[in-house]
Amino acid sequence: MIEFKGVSKAYGPRGNVLALKRLDLLIATGERVAIIGPSGSGKSTLLNLVSGMDVASSGSVKLDGVELSALDDPVRTRLRREKIGMVFQTFNLLPTLTAMENVALPLRLQGLAKGASQHRARALLERVGLQHRSSHRPDELSSGERQRVALARALIFQPPVLLADEPTGNLDSVTGEQILRLLDDLQREYRSTLLMVTHNAAAAGHCQRVITLHDGQIVRDERSMPSAPGSQ
Amino acid sequence: MFSALWDFAARQWLTHRLRVALTAVSIALGVGVYFAVATANAALLESLSLTVERLAGKAALEVVAGESGFPEGVLDQVRAIPGVQLAEPVIEVIAHTALQDEGNLLILGVDTTAEQRLHQFEFDLAQSQLADPLTYLTQPNSILLSGSFAARHRLKLGDQLTLYTPRGRQAFTVQGLFKPTGVGAVFGGNIAVMDVYSMQLTFDRGHNLDRIDLLNSADLSIADLRSRLRAQLPRGLQIVSPRTRGEALQNAVTAMRLGMSITSFIALLVGVYIIINSFSIAVNQRWKDLGVLRAVGVPASALTAMFLVEALLLGVLGSLAGVVGGYGAAALTGKIMGSIAASVYGVVATEVAPTLHPGLACGAFALGIGAALFGAWLPARTAAKIDPILALHHIELRQPEKLVGWLRISAAVLLLCLSTLLIVSVPAAVGTTLPLGVAVIMFVGLILLMPALVHWTARLLRPALDWLGGSEGALAMDAMIQSPRRSAGTVGALMIGLMFVYSTAAYIQSYRHMIDRWSDQLLNADLFVAATTLLRSTSYHFSEALGRRIAALPEVQRVENVRFLSVPFRDDTAALIAIEMDGFLARASNSVTGGNAKTLRELLPTGRGALVSRNFASRWGIRVGERVSLDTPTGQLVLPVAGMVDDYRSDKGSIFLDRALYKMVWKDDAVDFVDVSLRAGASIARAKRDITRLTADSEHALVYTNAEFRGWIAGLVDQFFLLNYMQLVIAVLVAVLGISNTLFMSVAERRREFGILRSIGALKSQLRKLVLLEAVAVSFVGVIVGTFCALFNIQFMSHTVSTALAGYDVPFVFPWQVILVSLPVVVAVSLLAAWAPARRAMQTPVLEAIGHE
Repeated sequence: MIEFKGVSKAYGPRGNVLALKRLDLLIATGERVAIIGPSGSGKSTLLNLVSGMDVASSGSVKLDGVELSALDDPVRTRLRREKIGMVFQTFNLLPTLTAMENVALPLRLQGLAKGASQHRARALLERVGLQHRSSHRPDELSSGERQRVALARALIFQPPVLLADEPTGNLDSVTGEQILRLLDDLQREYRSTLLMVTHNAAAAGHCQRVITLHDGQIVRDERSMPSAPGSQ
Repeated sequence: MFSALWDFAARQWLTHRLRVALTAVSIALGVGVYFAVATANAALLESLSLTVERLAGKAALEVVAGESGFPEGVLDQVRAIPGVQLAEPVIEVIAHTALQDEGNLLILGVDTTAEQRLHQFEFDLAQSQLADPLTYLTQPNSILLSGSFAARHRLKLGDQLTLYTPRGRQAFTVQGLFKPTGVGAVFGGNIAVMDVYSMQLTFDRGHNLDRIDLLNSADLSIADLRSRLRAQLPRGLQIVSPRTRGEALQNAVTAMRLGMSITSFIALLVGVYIIINSFSIAVNQRWKDLGVLRAVGVPASALTAMFLVEALLLGVLGSLAGVVGGYGAAALTGKIMGSIAASVYGVVATEVAPTLHPGLACGAFALGIGAALFGAWLPARTAAKIDPILALHHIELRQPEKLVGWLRISAAVLLLCLSTLLIVSVPAAVGTTLPLGVAVIMFVGLILLMPALVHWTARLLRPALDWLGGSEGALAMDAMIQSPRRSAGTVGALMIGLMFVYSTAAYIQSYRHMIDRWSDQLLNADLFVAATTLLRSTSYHFSEALGRRIAALPEVQRVENVRFLSVPFRDDTAALIAIEMDGFLARASNSVTGGNAKTLRELLPTGRGALVSRNFASRWGIRVGERVSLDTPTGQLVLPVAGMVDDYRSDKGSIFLDRALYKMVWKDDAVDFVDVSLRAGASIARAKRDITRLTADSEHALVYTNAEFRGWIAGLVDQFFLLNYMQLVIAVLVAVLGISNTLFMSVAERRREFGILRSIGALKSQLRKLVLLEAVAVSFVGVIVGTFCALFNIQFMSHTVSTALAGYDVPFVFPWQVILVSLPVVVAVSLLAAWAPARRAMQTPVLEAIGHE
């Protein structure tokens, strides 16, 4: 469960730019949530606070009851590694590593042996349909393939929370749709909570709940599908 | 456009102050080392000339005969030659004083009864009872001292100064003091004057003189007088101007000066690599900006010009600092070189403070700027070739840099094969241009191959570092594999530094092995009694009486008196070793090659033949059976070469003669070393003690056991290479600076990569580990590639360079101990250099870094 209580986030040299304003939000385990809104509305900031890559200026952000701002950096980083999978618009793969090495990287950072890491990475690459591209580097893959690799990497720990920041932003519509379907399938398979920031209405349509942000505040919170989280 | 580009570049300088500073420092260090050695070299040469000229006074010409001296009868011959206005006899002795903490004293022997028109001493009349204190010197055991020496030891008129002479310790009465100016400043003021004829007696010179200083009459030119003297005096006597004699002295230390100069270039070469590295980093840092500039219409040539102008400015800054720093370091460099010149070549000179030579300073300055422009050229060309479309792509689309083309590799391999072929198959000769040619071919080959070597070695090491360091190890190695432009310069700098460290170490080891073998063959006496701590003493010698006294000791079986001096040979010099050949053949005949034993025994002890060292034969193209002709003070001496030996005492080569023949022809019975062989079962320690006791109150004698003597020679070898080592250490330090530079840039460039790593759960400490492992990777690759390149350079140095400088080659030795020791040292120093960049990596702001594109 993700819980925001009175969360504000200020930027700028004097903290006078407020990205989030006293935001309250509760996301249940296994929920599929889209965050939409115009540029500068605070979507990515919200995602960054959940990932622990940023901390709130005030208020409380809890992940499964754990107050993130109370954790020191190493603990928060480990939590991000093990409990949160992240997918970015620009893929953020390491250009020097192969697809296999990119996927296995979080396990190896965890200290798992190379062989065991690659065994699990291979299985995930197979799951996203890229087993035949495992030894290719990012510059040898198409955009869709790169996003599949990024998705496989995000899921390597089978994390309870999956964060996606404009996952189709750099893809054409056909590839984007394929990625969204894959994301749906995997989210259901791993029973993760999905929090997706998007500008894309089609992408938001894949989610059960759509939250609209404007100027750092929730202006709409709609449940588009009646089905219970994780029911499929 | 250029002002806009300049603004752009200036902002980059301000943003990357550290890189700019490190680049300037590397240029400064390279130029500094070069300029320090060049200035010290010039100061040494100046001091050699100055010493000779001051001691010569107003003499226009000098009659000399190497170090052996010549019979005093020559003086009358010279005085009788028309056109000689004035001729004064001179003896120079560097004597050991009995004063504590005092070095040697140069004693100039002049004819005190003659009118002193050539050597004028500025006497301190307040310290003398007579207007001309030289007249005192006719009294026995009288001496005049320079005021500075007297003041240092609180000596005043009438005091006694004790000196070691071949006749034992003798006390001399101070009869006057002269001011420490002109001749009084020679040898750091450690100068004294005695009567020349008293000195013959005191210093056992028989009826010999060291030189005659002379002045031509007004009606005859110096050149004409020289021709006249040449026609009438024996060929063994040289008629030279003081300047020429100074130049001959300079010639004696050529090999050392050349060696130092070559090594001083290494720091500069390492500096060039740092510049290549630094500018490659600048190109990488500005990759996207350059793409934007190209996209908005800036021509490629303007980008090249921008980088070259930056290089020029950095070159000016670095070179200025280098010239200033080098000038500051020249005094210490000069001291070390002077000490080597004295201990190895027996060349003693007045210490001269280095002076700023505008020509040398301009040369060093130009060299620094040239190195900066040369180093920046390749990166500037790369900048000009940037494809704006690719440069503006995402990080994932950045193509690995391509520096390793097969054409380049093939050319490099061809050049290396050619250089190896030349080293192995073409016989090197002294002073030919071959070494320079081979060096150019070999280094161009190695430089061309270097990026490929770095790439291959990094790929080879990747699995090992992946296994040892986990994913951070693999990522560290990837940084090198994918960005050869960033790392090749640093690895190249480290490689060059290490290559020369290994090659020099190999050369020294090889030289030591050779000296050991030589010592086994030729220096196999039980004890050695030496007149000096230097390789040879040019003026203080023992008398033969010492040998007789030692021979009388009960444990002594045999003594051999050895005279070791430098004599003129053709237009150069050679070492002459006069030894009792019976004894020599009894213990060292196995080391003689080229002649049969019977002939050797017939010719050598009877003075009807000579041995020559292999480097002498190589230098002059002389073979066994041919004749060698020596100009002696009593005429020409022609002897057949009966055999050859390995001898490394002189880089000019050595000639071995029977001592009796030497005494007869050179009229010199001085002794420099007494080689002592003991009876079977005699205690070496006891014999040493007895000889030390025997000489304690008479000679300034140093008694060495065989092992000590070898250790002493090894110490001289170390001393000879000391400055080379110091320069190489600086070169490696410059290279390590490069590691720090590279890693700072690596951290800056890989900010996004670090951000990604942090976003997927890498701890800060893991980023630190990654950067530190990159330093380890650079060290490993540097050591491995440096070792590979050293293999070629060792072969080159041990064969071609050695033969060119000294006339002999040394065996190939692979310095694996030094390489093994260097690895942890280089890794440790690299880790230190990487510490600050690693801390910066830890501080990477994740969100900013990921957003940073």
